Amino acid sequence: MSENAITRRSFLAGSAGVAAVAAGAGFLSFNAWEQADARGTSDIDHYTAHSLCNSCSSKCGFTGYVVDGKLGKMIGDANHPNCEGTLCGRGYGFASIAYNEDRLTDPLKKNGGKFEKITWDQAYSEIAEKVKAIIDEKGPQALAMVQDPRPSGSYYTKRFMTALGSANVYTHGAACNMSKNAGFTQVIGTGDFTSDVANSKMTMFIGRSYADAIKPSQLHAMQKAHENGAELVIVDPRLNNSIAFADEWVPINPGTDLAFILAMAHVVVHNKLYDASYIAENTVGFEEWADYLKDCTPAWAEEITGISKDTIERLATDLATAAPAASIEPSWRGAYGCSYANSGETARAVCCFNTLLGCWNQEGGAFFGNSVKAGDLDKEKFPSVPKPEGKIAGADEYPLSLAGMGVNVYAAELAKKGEIKGMFFYNSNMVAGYSNPKYLEDCLSNLELSVAIDIQMTETCQACDYVLPDTTYLERLEAPEFIGGKIPAVSLRDQVIEKIHPNTKPVDEIFTELAEACGVGEYFQFTVEELADAQLRTVGLTLDGLRVAGTARFPEKTFKFGKTPTWKTPTGKIQFSSDACHAAGYPSVPQWTEPVASVPEGDGYFRLIGGKQAVHTHTQTANVPALMNISKQYNLDRVWINASRAAKLGISEGDEVEISNDEAKGTAKAHVTERINPEALYMPSHYGCSSKDEKTAYGFGLRQMDFVPFRIEPGYGGICSQEAIVSVRKVGA
Amino acid sequence: MARYGMLIDTTKCIGCYTCRLACQRQNGLEPDEAFVRFEDRETGTYPQVGVEHVPLQCMHCEDAPCTKVCPTGAAHIGTDGIVQVDQGRCIGCLYCMAACPYQVRVRNSKTGAVDKCRFCHVSNYENGTEMCTCVTACPTHARIFGDLDDPDCELVKEINRTHAAPIAGDLTKSKVFYVR
Amino acid sequence: MTFEPIWSGIIACYLFLGGLGGGAFATSAFLAWRHPEAVNMRKIGHVIAPIVVIVGLVLLMFDAKAGLYNPLRFALLLTNFGSVMTWGVVILALFVIVALIAMILDLTKRRVPWGIELAGSILGICVAIYTGCLLGVCNTFPLWNNALLPILFLVSAMSTGMASVLLAGVFKHPEEFNRVGVFKKFHFCFPCIEMLLVASLMFITVTNSTAGYESVMALLAGKYAVAFWVLFVIVGLVGPTILETWMLFFSPKEFEESRKAHAISAMSDIGVLIGGFMLRLLVLIAALPITMVTPFVL
Repeated sequence: MSENAITRRSFLAGSAGVAAVAAGAGFLSFNAWEQADARGTSDIDHYTAHSLCNSCSSKCGFTGYVVDGKLGKMIGDANHPNCEGTLCGRGYGFASIAYNEDRLTDPLKKNGGKFEKITWDQAYSEIAEKVKAIIDEKGPQALAMVQDPRPSGSYYTKRFMTALGSANVYTHGAACNMSKNAGFTQVIGTGDFTSDVANSKMTMFIGRSYADAIKPSQLHAMQKAHENGAELVIVDPRLNNSIAFADEWVPINPGTDLAFILAMAHVVVHNKLYDASYIAENTVGFEEWADYLKDCTPAWAEEITGISKDTIERLATDLATAAPAASIEPSWRGAYGCSYANSGETARAVCCFNTLLGCWNQEGGAFFGNSVKAGDLDKEKFPSVPKPEGKIAGADEYPLSLAGMGVNVYAAELAKKGEIKGMFFYNSNMVAGYSNPKYLEDCLSNLELSVAIDIQMTETCQACDYVLPDTTYLERLEAPEFIGGKIPAVSLRDQVIEKIHPNTKPVDEIFTELAEACGVGEYFQFTVEELADAQLRTVGLTLDGLRVAGTARFPEKTFKFGKTPTWKTPTGKIQFSSDACHAAGYPSVPQWTEPVASVPEGDGYFRLIGGKQAVHTHTQTANVPALMNISKQYNLDRVWINASRAAKLGISEGDEVEISNDEAKGTAKAHVTERINPEALYMPSHYGCSSKDEKTAYGFGLRQMDFVPFRIEPGYGGICSQEAIVSVRKVGA
Repeated sequence: MARYGMLIDTTKCIGCYTCRLACQRQNGLEPDEAFVRFEDRETGTYPQVGVEHVPLQCMHCEDAPCTKVCPTGAAHIGTDGIVQVDQGRCIGCLYCMAACPYQVRVRNSKTGAVDKCRFCHVSNYENGTEMCTCVTACPTHARIFGDLDDPDCELVKEINRTHAAPIAGDLTKSKVFYVR
Repeated sequence: MTFEPIWSGIIACYLFLGGLGGGAFATSAFLAWRHPEAVNMRKIGHVIAPIVVIVGLVLLMFDAKAGLYNPLRFALLLTNFGSVMTWGVVILALFVIVALIAMILDLTKRRVPWGIELAGSILGICVAIYTGCLLGVCNTFPLWNNALLPILFLVSAMSTGMASVLLAGVFKHPEEFNRVGVFKKFHFCFPCIEMLLVASLMFITVTNSTAGYESVMALLAGKYAVAFWVLFVIVGLVGPTILETWMLFFSPKEFEESRKAHAISAMSDIGVLIGGFMLRLLVLIAALPITMVTPFVL
């Protein structure tokens, strides 16, 4: 690695190729480290490398400092748009996963319910044989891939499946932000937008906590807005930790955000607080929606949401007054990413409401940043793979879902039906996180071929026949990560430390070799270095250059406020009404519909809600001792229950309570708090690991998904992760 | 001689544990060896509720009870007023842990010796060494480090501006100041 | 976050054995003065004293993990004379030396000089007081940080020391046991004094602060209540007092010297020993710091 350091240094001296790069702080930190080296210690044992954190999907850039081959300190890269120099706690803690004692170290095959070590060759040949047999019997569409996107993972899994002729490449999306993105797409033609929180006069956060599911740059923006005196409002059944920078908590009943937004829209429309000419110019269906909204009075919504009509009236008026430097923040998973049967419609209502504010592409409002993508690569070296004939399975059944994500749980259902015969999982713990684990396990057990590629023995690995050991993100170079935003950027996950377990392989190698074995190796005649360099050259950079800089920005592509975007909807306008929604069985304009699960009469029933804690991401971080230790020390596995409800049920802080419904039953300690809506029971989304091979995580806390029935949101394809009612009683009472 | 101190602005603290985890990485600590601990408070009744997170760590007291009770002299006040634990002298009797009013000393489960916040950020402050300390890592920049005897440093200015005070008043002449 | 006691079982043993050793030596000195005929019981006291203190010290060293892994560091114990523990080490060392001398002299049937008996007794009392002061200087624990605790520990030390000698005596030398009446009456009064001291400690601590209140309540009505009332108060104080009252004042002389009576005396002494240990353990684990119970955030 010392040689590597020298190459980087000589590059530093000689390169002029990356002007945009040179100003970055990654560069400076490297210099500082060099100086530290020069002061004494030999530089054989020291070097730094840039990488991207893997503890959540934000993939923040950082510099890893390696001493004697071991990762030491980590410094967030100041020029990385997602972290702006500060990582969150997960980043520091999760990095120790590379050294985790529960790492997968060898390929495994299930034999009579038990896993045994096999060679890579055996794994490849057996998997390839089954792949070919499945294709011969049912065609390539009987194969599917589920992956939680990471730079190399997205590229290689997609290319591999495409080469096999299957369109069934799913992300975790249906269990994350599918409903939100799909709902947005129906209104504004794109799955996402960004609220310009930092410059806003008012921003409303619905079921989104920048302080609990941390992307540091967002937190910085919120803090800046707070310091600037912006009005920041949190709409959430739970008082989350973002309250530090917010002015108000609106403790809404779970699953009723749609009614709340409709009532606010009623206020804005009824009082004519919107820009009529903007609406006339840019939208379709406004009259129809305005007509529907007539009955959606704040008093009507008060009954449903538990929020007083005065509050609704006031907040709507405040937003309209602050417009266009105001918006409802897009949110992510929490409230309507995949939570309820009305999530997609809630997402539509959010975009419709923001349209009333006229905030699109306005400073302080909501905007669509610019992006940079890799251009076309050399066809000889990186031949295009012919597009599969079929559509991704589920596209017809869930017509509003996004093909880029796909309805992964529908694929599982097809496995249960025998329509899909082989499934691959990359960096995805579908079984524990995407819907009811028992149901999903059952789906997977029906497969003829199931392959999980991961770094630890997740529940999904346990449910598969083959488990292939990946290297961790710290042990490999990946394809470059392109990041859109105000100033688009590209960032690199470089190899930080040497491979720890000799028989693990990086994702690029696994899929290259698997493709070879399956007879489609002609599409993989390149290394990840060559791929990364080729992609970067299409945007005027080089791999060596980005290795030094970590992140490069494209200032010439800086987004400018004020310009109305081109709406990529079928009508070319912002759609208050959508034909596609109508065709999918929804009203053409967003209307109130209740969650499917309703709370029965009686004392002990609650709506089960999930949500992130700052030190964890889904189930993937629970086996990291540095992070789990915090959960254990601070009792983070406790379920939150409203204090007055708890009093009625005779439950005090720390009491053991039994939580049950038709799906599952379990006990947990109670956290009795004023910080939660009386209808809701909050169960953190990180615990209840049932894989014994994850020794740190195993057996701690309950798993929210165990209580959630398998259900798919009509049209949109979300997993309805909060459509669950549970009953709660004190153990021994 | 400097007199190093710190300010923690709890109005900016979101209770995310980043300081603890960054510190563990910077100082190579065991997963259960945390130099920062947290007290959370909830006030009011639903739905008018307030939340406060207070990170606590060695206060580098001028009147440090740990150094008084330590029978071996392992716990001592070192240069620039930084309370230190000489790991090579500590016998692990835990007397300092019992004497510390802030419960911020921890035993290293491997060596058996007691350890705690070392004000490691001093290296960053004095030499500009890039580090992932509680100060640099805090995503909301809730912490400031500096020399309490230097009226021009940001720390002193901020203490004066915010009227920050030690968490337990003048109990031990603590050098960590809190904005509440 | 809940508060985990910093010290528990092992240190409770150490405090208990330290006190017991000091008490046992003082017992021997007392016997030598008032019951010179009880030679064997005196010897028992002289043997118990150094041995239990050494066992206690070994336990302490075992608990001090960093020292256990690097034993040379124990030499550093004598470097900070501002520390109560350092003084404790000095006192314990001197006590062990004096007690060992007395033991060797007594076992080799040589007379233990009065100087040694007196010095050992004073050091024994100091050891007992030290075990209370060790905790007392931790000023964030109201249950510890008061002047009653060292006195309470001293009384309990004397009581357990005597009980240990009587217990060994009643089995090994019942004839001597029957004849040490003054000593037994003296022994009888200790649990009574202890009860008064414990009650005073509870009354003072409970009103001292929230932490004091919580600590006392944990003992009287909280998670340690069963151990406190059953093992400490009934088994350790009230039981022995009732049994001894009966034996000393109400039972006929003949019965007092019967085997049955000896068994009852033994039970009473065992009770005192259990109570003595429970006192140390409960005081250690029930003490809550003011900074935790009334967190800074309030």
